Amino acid sequence: MRFQRPRAAVLGLIGAGALAGAAPLARAGAGADAPAAASAAPPLARRAGSPVVLTPQQVAREYHEFYFTRGKYSEGGRGFRRGFGGGSWATDWPKADQQFMVVLKRLVGIDNSPLDNAVDLADPELRRFPFLYILEVGEMYMTDAELLGLRSYLAAGGFLVVDDFWGPYELANLERELGRLLPGKPLRELPLDHPLFNNVYDVSNVIQVPNVRTGQSHGMYGTPTHEGRGSEVPHVFGIDDDRGELMVVANWNTDIGDAWEWAENPYYPLKFSTYAFEIGVNMIVYAMSH
Amino acid sequence: MESIFEFLFKYHPALYRQGDIALRGPWPIATLLIAAVAVAAVVGFSYLRPRGRAGALDRGVMAVLRTSALCVIVLCLLQPTLVLRAVVPQRNFVGVLIDDSHSMTLPGEDGRPRSAFVADQLGPDGALLKALSERFAVRTFSFSSTTGRVSDPTALGYAGTRTDLASALDRVREDLSAVPLSGIIVISDGADNGGRVLAESLVPLQAASIPVFTVGLGEETLTPDVQIDRVQAPQSVLLGSAVVVDVIVSQRGYEGETVTLEVADETRILTQQPVALGEDGEPVVSRVRFTADQSGPRRVTFTIAPSPGERVAGNNRRELLMDVRDDRKKVLYFEGEPRFEVKFMRRAVDGDDNLQLVVLQRTAPDKFLRLDVDGAEELQSGFPKTREELFRYQGLILGSVEAGFFTHDQLLMIQDFVSQRGGGLLVLGGRHALAEGGYAGTPVADVIPVVMGPSQGDNPRAVEVKVSPTPAGALNPATQIASAGETPSAVWERLPALTTLNPIYQVKPGATTLLVGKSEGSPGEDRVVLAWQRFGRGRSFALPVQDSWIWQMHADVPLEDQSHERFWGQLLRGLVDGVGEPVSVSLDHERADAGQPIKVSARVRDSTYIELNDATVGARLIAPSGAERNLTLEWSVEDDGLYTATFVPDENGTWAVDVDASRAGAAIGRDEVWARVGAGDDEYFDAARRQALLERIAEETGGRSYRAADVDRLPEDIQYAGAGVTITEERDLWDMPFLFLVLVGLIGSEWAFRRRRGLV
Repeated sequence: MRFQRPRAAVLGLIGAGALAGAAPLARAGAGADAPAAASAAPPLARRAGSPVVLTPQQVAREYHEFYFTRGKYSEGGRGFRRGFGGGSWATDWPKADQQFMVVLKRLVGIDNSPLDNAVDLADPELRRFPFLYILEVGEMYMTDAELLGLRSYLAAGGFLVVDDFWGPYELANLERELGRLLPGKPLRELPLDHPLFNNVYDVSNVIQVPNVRTGQSHGMYGTPTHEGRGSEVPHVFGIDDDRGELMVVANWNTDIGDAWEWAENPYYPLKFSTYAFEIGVNMIVYAMSH
Repeated sequence: MESIFEFLFKYHPALYRQGDIALRGPWPIATLLIAAVAVAAVVGFSYLRPRGRAGALDRGVMAVLRTSALCVIVLCLLQPTLVLRAVVPQRNFVGVLIDDSHSMTLPGEDGRPRSAFVADQLGPDGALLKALSERFAVRTFSFSSTTGRVSDPTALGYAGTRTDLASALDRVREDLSAVPLSGIIVISDGADNGGRVLAESLVPLQAASIPVFTVGLGEETLTPDVQIDRVQAPQSVLLGSAVVVDVIVSQRGYEGETVTLEVADETRILTQQPVALGEDGEPVVSRVRFTADQSGPRRVTFTIAPSPGERVAGNNRRELLMDVRDDRKKVLYFEGEPRFEVKFMRRAVDGDDNLQLVVLQRTAPDKFLRLDVDGAEELQSGFPKTREELFRYQGLILGSVEAGFFTHDQLLMIQDFVSQRGGGLLVLGGRHALAEGGYAGTPVADVIPVVMGPSQGDNPRAVEVKVSPTPAGALNPATQIASAGETPSAVWERLPALTTLNPIYQVKPGATTLLVGKSEGSPGEDRVVLAWQRFGRGRSFALPVQDSWIWQMHADVPLEDQSHERFWGQLLRGLVDGVGEPVSVSLDHERADAGQPIKVSARVRDSTYIELNDATVGARLIAPSGAERNLTLEWSVEDDGLYTATFVPDENGTWAVDVDASRAGAAIGRDEVWARVGAGDDEYFDAARRQALLERIAEETGGRSYRAADVDRLPEDIQYAGAGVTITEERDLWDMPFLFLVLVGLIGSEWAFRRRRGLV
């Protein structure tokens, strides 16, 4: 007997429905110092892009089991600033993070914080957040301190998700950075029978999730979803720890974060956001149980 | 004192105790009384009649003295006689029990071994044997753990490893029950360690009027000496468990000194620690910690190196057999929501071959994730719905899952899992746990060791707590997280604070708090972080915190720190260690001498832990040489599910007892225990002469207790003890020195009085 799981299309509608109410929250949070939570608790005063570090008094009202944490990293010379006050790390931030957290709370019984949570890889506080999301790593070049921090994070038991990097060049850059980070541990393609693809939702195909513009165009005109030569096929790579459990997941030739960010957009195809939520939930539950 | 008595009264006081005094004069009592009155009248008349210058007082005193002297003479004329029942020479038997145990080789007050007394007194020219042989037929026995006849007492080896006085008395009484027995002589230091109740053997002797005469050898205190009195340790632990052992040490003559206690597994030293000795005769408790890291029956020794001049070195060492089980215990962790505790608890025990953590995690309503199950069938319907399914696990962890998730029968099942199956339950904290999960008033609330306060509702307030152990927690194996060489308090001090959503301040009566948490917001108000209690056959723990993974992930915790791994490894071992299986076996004693019977007891239950009385239970005995034999265990009738049998080991070494139970051809289960057979070291402990015990034996049976110095009285005392074939023997008392001295004293006193008063 198998446990019943929601149908994928229904899932996407739940996500979109939830976001319809959550959109003002996300917009209010964008660029503001203190994105307000849906709860009645007073907002947590903190600087944008800083980690959620709670004082004992703040713990009483702000403690949550899960914080969606975005890693802040350094880049090589060709990087350009995006998002609010950051480099490539800040792509889609904080709207994607906040919208995904709204949906996550609706989909699984998790006690997650509604706040976005960006943490520098060199910040020791990083280890308080065992789930880490980084993206746009095509120009990533970690400093020694960031390398040390991320290596320590993964060795202690942290879980890293990499997203939104396209084509051979960006993959090579990631592999080079991972080579510096975890020598001798190359990326490997994850088969579809890996627990990552079925621990909550059964993901039977790896879908290429386009950015919002490409996605809208695909929805209206059926144009391709890739971003140039060598990015036609999406892949999910992984690196295992010494125990044989995944500690790094890399989503290549796909932009899951954009689907979280634009899920409420009626022109963005539902199938992409549905997949993004499914694989996102699976990655989080996997990270919390493996 | 007794010799003075014997000089004055002619005979030893023992004869007076055993005999009667009678008057054997040739005249009737009435005649003698008339004569006495007449004499008194004549004396009174002659003294009290006024004459000369003696006053009334003078005359009165002299009359009393003279009358008393005349009375003594009259008493002598009455021929007082001591009437004794003396044994008929060579018609009676005496059993002599000689302690053949190893403690008899310890040096006595004169520097010679205690056994020298036996050679001196019971050898061919021994005075005691000679004196006894003149009066009795002497039967000699030796005793230690067993008792047997011995023809030459001087040839004893004193190699016995136990002193079983009760069995020895039984054996002699039974062996000599067909002959007239005048008494039993016990020659021993009285250091009985047979483990039997002595009174059970004294009652038949009292009923048969057989006196026991004891001869105590050795000193009542051995100084200077250090002794390991006791070692309190679990008999069986799971491989990898922290073991906390209490070692009780006493001493005489080394007050204030410090010695080193060494714990070793065979030849491998597990730990060493100093022990500050207490006052003379006052025991001190030394707690040692080590890890059971090698499986199988382990001989663990506790040794204190002998101090200079120490009298007994053999009592500085204790050995025990610890069964370190390389079992795989299965723990079901049911978590009601995605939580990092799942991941990090799994990581903590990952690679631990003795713990299988099966996770059932609810990821959304009616959606479950199963991890580390044994097959596709396991937990396929979610949380177990039958006792048989739940009772397959030895431990159960409930995470943040509300009570309303379970049916009432499932809540009862969880209670039965602990009380009936004997499993271990651990309740974690969380927003849907304890009171916040609605457990108040449910059957599970009876099981958990803490007192739940009112629920805080859906948004419980989180509090950070700095965790530290209580005194009980510092000693409990479940909370031993320090590695070798680390100070436990320092480890707890450096671990970061955890978070709790469940305000627990009290534990139930009978429960023990192991860890407490202090919060900045409410200093002085300690929260319960870990508590446990026994419940029925099992045990329950409560850990009302929810992010112990911080001890792994916090930046202040070095990567190489294993505190989090050790915490869960030890806590889960504490949860499941000793949890019984359908078949569980025990022995009445884990050490025995070769030839000493060992009783095997097996408790047999079915898969729902109901006792079975119709099982077929057999044991395979594996001797140290590898030889095997089978033993059938029979239902004990008076106790449901209990099967017993006895075997006699005939080889020294470690015996394996492998018990297998089946019912109607279907296997129920098996269990294995170990027995240590061979010379023990009990004889070195409490080896001083136990005079009080020897005197009690003599007193309760009508005998007498002697020491080596006064044993020459023993043959005569037995002769007149009145037991056996006796004749009446009368001994004159009129010529005892006491009467003569009294007579002379009275007459002399009167003369002196007269001189003093000028009446002569």
